[in-house]
Amino acid sequence: MGKSRNISQVLNDQGLIDASDLAPGVGTPEQGFSFRNRIINGDMRIDQRNAGASATFANTGAYSVDRWRVSNAVSTVTAQQSTTAPTGFNNSLLITVTSADSNPPSSGTSHGLQYYIEGNNVADLGFGSASAKTVTLSFWVRSSLTGTYGIQIGNNAPATRAYVAQYTINSANTFEYKTITISGDTTGTWATNTGIGVSVVFDLGSGSSFQTASANTWTATDSRRISGNALFASTASATFYITGVQFEVGSVATPFERKPYGAELELCRRYLQVFQGGSGSASSSTSWETIQQANPPFRATPALSLSGVAAIEDHAVTLYTQSSANVSLGSATSLAFKYGLGNFSSLTNSRYYSLGLAVNGNKLFAAAEL
Amino acid sequence: MHTYKLFANRDNVVFSVNRSDGWAIPLTDPANTDYAEFKKLVAEGAELQDADGNVMSADAAQEFIRGLP
Repeated sequence: MGKSRNISQVLNDQGLIDASDLAPGVGTPEQGFSFRNRIINGDMRIDQRNAGASATFANTGAYSVDRWRVSNAVSTVTAQQSTTAPTGFNNSLLITVTSADSNPPSSGTSHGLQYYIEGNNVADLGFGSASAKTVTLSFWVRSSLTGTYGIQIGNNAPATRAYVAQYTINSANTFEYKTITISGDTTGTWATNTGIGVSVVFDLGSGSSFQTASANTWTATDSRRISGNALFASTASATFYITGVQFEVGSVATPFERKPYGAELELCRRYLQVFQGGSGSASSSTSWETIQQANPPFRATPALSLSGVAAIEDHAVTLYTQSSANVSLGSATSLAFKYGLGNFSSLTNSRYYSLGLAVNGNKLFAAAEL
Repeated sequence: MHTYKLFANRDNVVFSVNRSDGWAIPLTDPANTDYAEFKKLVAEGAELQDADGNVMSADAAQEFIRGLP
């Protein structure tokens, strides 16, 4: 007869399994031993965009470390991968307020850290049905600003179904471990395809339009906070660190799931791929084009951007550099995309040239983020 | 708010649109979130230029995005 222990009882403090526990009946089917965590890059190790450098988010929403989006509709914050982390982790994501919003912020202002889980990866949760499963969110967090913060579990961006949970930062500038268990939503529309399946939003001081009166209940709103929650973005020089984020089925927070670095990077590459090399040919005296195979396939057809001017090489003899960054996208799918680079001069039409971004350190980003 | 300029290839086929921050965005896949944002912003009045750089009228821009997938 098999054991009746659930997986949280089987995993030790390091998230490892003892050999004696590898027996029939161990764990529960919905938890599983591997890929319990529906969050990719929950330990903030992968930073393809900035490689640890600080990025500024002024009146905008954009991605920072892989899969994590900073929403800062008003004022300015910086975000970067940090090496300040709790024991057992190498990295966290650090957000710093460099130019504070008003206090209170305007009603419709969004400030938060967002993670969108692809619907394909939460289809088994049964959200929106009578069989919706209980889920647990766990994470390590640290801030210079103590107080109670809100978190949204939602169904989209903007959400039409939202559950606002709260957690409290008790001690300034100290990592604290938090766990929140949520009964799954039995109503609403929840995507189970390549769209947003579940949104997890750590509120950082949004306006009153994002507030709800009651925590720990599902509402047909885009709520992220409760009145009186911390107004992080309205606090000059405030800092917020987070890592070890795990979203899993069940009512127990199991130890953070460790994945090999390469495996985690590969998961991130479904949403963002970075290129510095390739081959193609000149399509005129000023432009170059090629077709790039995606590996792995993207979640959706990607959009493209350069971090700076591109350079191409003529058989490693002559280097041609764009006068200003320019990239255009041709026919494209999630499997491959044709793209062109312009703003060159003196190219020979139809001649072969190699993409040589490693020369100047710039990058071509292809993004299919949620 | 971003502005947008259509990009046409040598055969004058429009596959993508260039956003003012330098991103090239596909016009063929509703699952691309930048594309979804493009349609939303143009519907709200964001500037859209044709492939030659001429600013499209509001009516022409709306008609263009209505014809997209």
